[in-house]
Amino acid sequence: MRLRGIRSFGPTLWGIALFLVVLAGTAPWIPVFLLTVLIQLLIFSTLAYSLNLITGLTGYVSFGHVVFMAFGAYALAFAVGTFHLHPVAGVALGIGGVTLRFRGVYFAIATLVVAVAASYIVLEIKELGDGQGIILNIGFEPLSWFYTIWVILAIEVILTYWITHGRIGYGVRSIKSDEDAAKALGVNAARVKLFLYALSGLFAGGAGGVYAWTASGVFPQAFDLTFSLQMLAMIVIGGMGTLLGPLIGAVAVYIPSYIFLTVLIGFQFIIIGIVVTLIALFVPEGIVGSLRKYIPELRGILE
Amino acid sequence: MADVALFMADLALGLLLGCVFAVIAHGLNLIWGVAKVVNVAHGEFIMLGAYGAYFLNLWFGFNPLLSVPVDAAIGLAVGVGFYFGFLHRELRGKESMGLQSEMVTLVATFGLALFLINAVQALWTGNNVGIPWSPGVVLVGSIQLPLGGLYVAIMSVAIIGLSHVFLTKTYLGNAIRAYSQDIPATQLVGINPTFTAAVGTALGFCITMAGGALLTVWLPTGIFPAMGNLYAPISFVIVVLGGPGKMWGSLVGGLTLGVIINVGQLFVGSIALATAIGFLTLIPVLLLRPEGLLR
Repeated sequence: MRLRGIRSFGPTLWGIALFLVVLAGTAPWIPVFLLTVLIQLLIFSTLAYSLNLITGLTGYVSFGHVVFMAFGAYALAFAVGTFHLHPVAGVALGIGGVTLRFRGVYFAIATLVVAVAASYIVLEIKELGDGQGIILNIGFEPLSWFYTIWVILAIEVILTYWITHGRIGYGVRSIKSDEDAAKALGVNAARVKLFLYALSGLFAGGAGGVYAWTASGVFPQAFDLTFSLQMLAMIVIGGMGTLLGPLIGAVAVYIPSYIFLTVLIGFQFIIIGIVVTLIALFVPEGIVGSLRKYIPELRGILE
Repeated sequence: MADVALFMADLALGLLLGCVFAVIAHGLNLIWGVAKVVNVAHGEFIMLGAYGAYFLNLWFGFNPLLSVPVDAAIGLAVGVGFYFGFLHRELRGKESMGLQSEMVTLVATFGLALFLINAVQALWTGNNVGIPWSPGVVLVGSIQLPLGGLYVAIMSVAIIGLSHVFLTKTYLGNAIRAYSQDIPATQLVGINPTFTAAVGTALGFCITMAGGALLTVWLPTGIFPAMGNLYAPISFVIVVLGGPGKMWGSLVGGLTLGVIINVGQLFVGSIALATAIGFLTLIPVLLLRPEGLLR
């Protein structure tokens, strides 16, 4: 499982890097209101990339990804200060170690059921607010939030690129198309999947931590399955398993739902639901995948 | 420690509740067995069945038991629509469902679930509603049993039994079972695969929505748009416990889960924890007996 062997970066990575650097450079001058919107967008992008690592790259649909985000949020709320030491990776290894034994629909069901069960258990624990959540008294510091989530997202994008283009990428792709054949060729499927799942859980936890920080506390709503839905919607719309897809998906889902949120509550999910259904049925490649399919010139540029 | 009388009462209640769990899971089981598809929006169709019973009560004064056949008829139509909208494109001309198709249907029905929850919320508000219908209690030995729950349990077992008779004794039922085992062989003996799969899926939805109506008896104020988020995992766990595609498996899984939740809360002190434990039994069952508890 070596990650070396990348000589040059592709144009998509440069594009995302440019976008992120411009954001980081201008952040101190962006109005606070816009900055908070941007922070939410980056949190959702981080979540989308984290789900992309397991669902997009290996084809294992995880419905329970919200559980990592919620654990990250509760971990932050429980131990403000020791923020970069996430127990989430350990949780992800545990859940992944069990659920990854199942394939296809069984994996999807196991993740969903584990997520619901975990939320019931956490909400019963007295130290974790007894189902009421934990309210923190930490200040309003949008720039710190911004740069923290920025760093997490940047590392995640680079890792995604590394995984898709390094040696492990061949293994990952072979698992997605035919796991048995991949195993026969000597790909250690269990290890690759567990590695991706743990990584994915770690980043979702990081995003959850920042989410709790921006919300100044954590509430049982952190376990809301709609977060799982939104993550899945983002990578489906953007393009599963692509490098640019989760970012485009995050923008395409978050910005309209933010606008609809102020107009009519609940309405945004009706539209997201219809769009996800139609895209899954008729254009399963998503935006990035379709662009690559129908415009051959873009194939060398978009990844 | 809980005393024996309390234990027996909870055991009896758990068995009654398990029967209705079995019906809602039975619908999923049929769709899963026939089309090899897991309908992620399953909980939302239970919710629609429950709302169907609620409105029939509100407008015509039907009690939940009377609305079962109406809901079932609606479910048949919905199931045919679902088959041609979601499954036909993926199943047509194929010998089995590939991994790619599996992912497409999982994600597409996930989108459908999102749409249904929020459309219902926009239409009928997110408030909890319920049907005021309680036929009283009956004494069995020293245990008080709710009469409504008893009726529901009888109807539940009857529905599962009827579906079993249909699937084993009629030509169409046998065709559906044959289709679920081997699609090319089914075509070789002259069975129309599209018709068979559509009927099988429709039957699954019929039972799911009827189950939604039966469930309302247990939920005096518990009908709300997102209720599927609880009953879909319950159904998934039951089907896996009993074994997908095994028709009596739903009843075994349903009774097991009903008893675990109801008796478990006596020991762990809260219904949420007991539900979590019931859900997590899925993991060892999948690991040790992936074909389900039944042989």
